Amino acid sequence: MWPPKKGNHSGLPLPLRPHMQKQITQQNLNILLDSLIKEGIRVVAPHMNGGTPLYEPLTCSADMNTGQLPRRSAKEAFFPVCEDIMTYEKEGQKVTVTDIDPVRFPETVLVGVRPCDAAAIPVLDAVFSWDYKDEFFLERRRKTTIIGLACTTADDACFCTAVGLSPAETKGSDLFLTPLVGGGYVCETYSDKGEQLITNHKELFSDTGGAKTLPLAQPETGKIDLKKVKAWLDEHFEDPLWDGIATRCVGCGACAFVCPACHCFDIVDEGTEKAGTRRKNWDACGFWKFTHHASGHNPRDGQPKRYRNRIMHKFKYYDDKFGQTLCSGCGRCVRVCPVGIDIKAIIDTILNSEC
Amino acid sequence: MCDHTNKNIYLPYLATVAEVIDETPDVRTLRLVFQDEKVKENFVFRAGQFAEYSAFGAGESTFCIASSPTRGGYIECSFRSVGRVTEELRRLEVGDTMGVRGPYGNSYPVEEFYGKNLVFVAGGIALPPLRTLIWNCLDLRDKFGDITIVYGARTEADLVYKRELKEWQERSDVRLVKTVDPGGNGPGWDGSVGFVPTVLGEAAPSAESTIALVCGPPIMIKFTLPVLEKLGFTDEQVYTTLENRMKCGLGKCGRCNVGNVYVCKDGPVFTAKQLKAMPMEF
Repeated sequence: MWPPKKGNHSGLPLPLRPHMQKQITQQNLNILLDSLIKEGIRVVAPHMNGGTPLYEPLTCSADMNTGQLPRRSAKEAFFPVCEDIMTYEKEGQKVTVTDIDPVRFPETVLVGVRPCDAAAIPVLDAVFSWDYKDEFFLERRRKTTIIGLACTTADDACFCTAVGLSPAETKGSDLFLTPLVGGGYVCETYSDKGEQLITNHKELFSDTGGAKTLPLAQPETGKIDLKKVKAWLDEHFEDPLWDGIATRCVGCGACAFVCPACHCFDIVDEGTEKAGTRRKNWDACGFWKFTHHASGHNPRDGQPKRYRNRIMHKFKYYDDKFGQTLCSGCGRCVRVCPVGIDIKAIIDTILNSEC
Repeated sequence: MCDHTNKNIYLPYLATVAEVIDETPDVRTLRLVFQDEKVKENFVFRAGQFAEYSAFGAGESTFCIASSPTRGGYIECSFRSVGRVTEELRRLEVGDTMGVRGPYGNSYPVEEFYGKNLVFVAGGIALPPLRTLIWNCLDLRDKFGDITIVYGARTEADLVYKRELKEWQERSDVRLVKTVDPGGNGPGWDGSVGFVPTVLGEAAPSAESTIALVCGPPIMIKFTLPVLEKLGFTDEQVYTTLENRMKCGLGKCGRCNVGNVYVCKDGPVFTAKQLKAMPMEF
């Protein structure tokens, strides 16, 4: 109960040090994925959906395309944009409700996951597993093996290094791939699940033969002092900064929808008088209706107050509750914001402020 | 009673509408009886807790459980119909089925109030979260000292639980001070006229060995706390309930927080001391 113990809430195994290091060629990785698909395992990977890179289930390994950071994060493999939580049927005065059993979720291998996306997933374990257990999220976590992929390129918006992660961060990955010069990957395991995957397909892996890995990406942002950011936030709920940065926010919610760590959701019924489905849909604290009371009162009655909640939740509230930061520096919110709000610049402003 | 046996924490219990009571032109109370016998027997809650009520096809709404935990076999909720879900709930008739998830949140530490005087202060539609406790205490009447209820609304018509106000007024072991805002009184009005904080000040209940329980719109709470302070109440002697928009009620969906406090998990019941430690975002 309250306060939650900081740390691992989910009962899921924590990542260990790499206990196995192997090598795999691109061709063998494709064979591995195709054989998994053939076994009936859901393989989710970045691929191009009409010109948009997304993490989606593959029907064939050749469809994997890790060239670009997917538009949305990998969290949707566990926490879909929209998911059914029950169905109802009405007949006269009677209602029948049918449970949607989380046990039905398929075994999944999530492959080609960028370190920023993989690192955010165990952070979400905390909220979905403290006190009440959200089995929709947790059952998918148990059934999913995450294969992370080191980044060899970064753009101006990338800032994983600022929040203490890196293009080679293995947090969240069961198995981690680092590209080799001339093709193929070094493959390290960080959990029993990762090791199991290699053991089950050991003919596709070889011992590491001292091959050189590609140089890693080097995002230009240096490490920031998250403790200092939090210390400022602890004291500045009221501050002119909030008006200054967020009056221009249009409240579109795009930053939350592309974020690997945002996890707010709505619960809605969709259907007719007779039958329908109750769904859990992504939501965003930037929307005015998010906190709007039935009475008309709204505790966050302006965009600056809503944006303040976004920053506070990421760098203070979640830390207060679970000892973690809700940002892995993927930079998506910076890329998609229609009015150019830059979370890195906000953090810089906070760090450079006098008190 | 948490749903630990149920893997899907979002799945509601089914309940039958057993009674429909119109409190005001737009506030309605529903008495609900759980359809599953086991749930009916085992549904245990404490005064102050809330639930998620669903009208299938429209969605869920959050209200407190307005009936007293001392009265088993049913629960009640009171709500104003102002949105999609509440309008749909309003359409329900006796015998219809609705959904209930809960009970959620913390509760009033009733046992700590034993032996003390109680002052209830409520405004408008905010009486339900106190009514659960009022009946809880009245049903255990000899455990408490003096009981004072200060309740006001904009007009006579906006007062909820009118039949119960009458009952409290007639009881010799309850002091009821009812009031309406200036201009809200009809010709036959037998209560006070004035805003709740002012009328509370005039009623001047003693703070000695007394607990004050305040529930109302944010503006009423804002003006009531200084009045209580003037009467000698410390912040530890004053309790209130916060009501923020909620969806899950389970500490997940991320909207009911006031600063780092989740109203659904850490609340909805807070002392004035806790309230004052929160940022002004409610």
